[in-house]
Amino acid sequence: MLNQDPVDPSLIQQINDLMASGFEIPPEKLVPSAALKELGLDSLDAVDMLVYIEDKFGIKVEGEKLTSLRTLQDVYNLAAEAVSKSK
Amino acid sequence: MKVFVTGMGALTSLGTDVESTFQGLRDGRTGVRAFPEWKQHNGLHSLLGAPVGEYSVAHLPRQTRRAMSRMSEMASLATFQALEQAALSKENLNSPRVLLILGSTSGSPETLETYFKKIIERGGPEGQVSTSFFKTMNHSVAANVAAALEFNGALLSPSCACATSTQAVILGWELIKAGLYDVVVAGGADELHYMSAGVFDIVQAASRGYNDKPDEASRPFDQKRDGLVVSEGAGVVVLESEAHAQARGAHRLAEIKGGAYQCDASHMTQSSATTMASVMRLSLERAGVKAEEVDYLNAHATGTVHGDAEEAKAIQNVFQNTVPVSSLKGHFGHSLAACGTVELICSIKMMEHGLLIPNRNLAIVDPECSGIDLLKAPRQTPVKTVVSNNFAFGGMNTCLVFAQK
Repeated sequence: MLNQDPVDPSLIQQINDLMASGFEIPPEKLVPSAALKELGLDSLDAVDMLVYIEDKFGIKVEGEKLTSLRTLQDVYNLAAEAVSKSK
Repeated sequence: MKVFVTGMGALTSLGTDVESTFQGLRDGRTGVRAFPEWKQHNGLHSLLGAPVGEYSVAHLPRQTRRAMSRMSEMASLATFQALEQAALSKENLNSPRVLLILGSTSGSPETLETYFKKIIERGGPEGQVSTSFFKTMNHSVAANVAAALEFNGALLSPSCACATSTQAVILGWELIKAGLYDVVVAGGADELHYMSAGVFDIVQAASRGYNDKPDEASRPFDQKRDGLVVSEGAGVVVLESEAHAQARGAHRLAEIKGGAYQCDASHMTQSSATTMASVMRLSLERAGVKAEEVDYLNAHATGTVHGDAEEAKAIQNVFQNTVPVSSLKGHFGHSLAACGTVELICSIKMMEHGLLIPNRNLAIVDPECSGIDLLKAPRQTPVKTVVSNNFAFGGMNTCLVFAQK
């Protein structure tokens, strides 16, 4: 877990939209506790997911943290942290 | 050891399978259309292309589709078509005696453009999605078809532009004859992009004078031809040894009698009649077929001023005026790496129907292309033995000989 602060719901929604459109994941499966592996994402998808997030929010995510991502909540937290730092 | 074709698949600008493609040929249709939107590309004079119509790869898993550009999608669909006709499943291919040979001119031109544009804009690899490279690498088509088939056997990816798939078929024939494989899935694919037209436009080999008359563009052997029209598509065949085909009761569509590939190193873009005739003679020799036994010659003739004239001279040299000749580029445009197998497949359909498809847009034969029997109208006649030429930049001359099963 990277960051325990509550994440802005609109950011969560935008990430969920990216996950649904980029990786064809049914929206009902996009819950915070969902494991990325269980959502069908592999290591290549994880790289692309960060690229999509960076492009969407105009941020730079630390690539080294990629390997620590396990659940969708981890992704929300990582994006929230990067957005916060970029302000 | 005889080698048979037992399956065929194709996506062309006339149709998304073999039957619709051949029907398009019978109807005398063209897949060429105007691309006025290409005017925005500085320096491009040829605003014509022949795209493949709608198709779907939605049945493939996302993680298979993600590394595919259009050329890999079309090659995969053509491969599935060919395997279905051959009654071979994905599981049947899991053998060290099976080889896949598939190629393209280059990696996806569309992805190459976006890939390098981003590298230049960002000064490095920042922002690249992981799958871009898998669409741009030279063996993208082969690797993606293998992935779609979950294939773990031998895989080759020859690349010699417009002769790619003919070379793949000849290579397959050689390797089956040598006893190394029982089944070879061979073919090629390419996708339409403005720079595919641009490559030929730069060397003044693409049609420029018919931008507002696409129906009349691409005119092999015609006096008013002014260059080729670039196209896209995929053509894949299943080649099988006689013993393997016989053992499983496979339906034979044609026999590959032989073929040859030779380089004309004298010029990068202008092969000569002498070397074109040489590869035809060598192919006939390797096939054990005499020139007078050939019932039809499918010419490469793309509609360029130089290439068509040289090929006509070469055909005249080898066959004199004894064999009916047509090119299908007037119908399809030039589908580059796909054209060899697409033309093989269409010629096999001609054999099946005893019907020769004529040159499209051949109104007045150029005197430089005279002295051979150029088809101007469909001809109903028994077709037992066929020769098919394909020539490519880099002096890549290829010729294939095939016959009724």
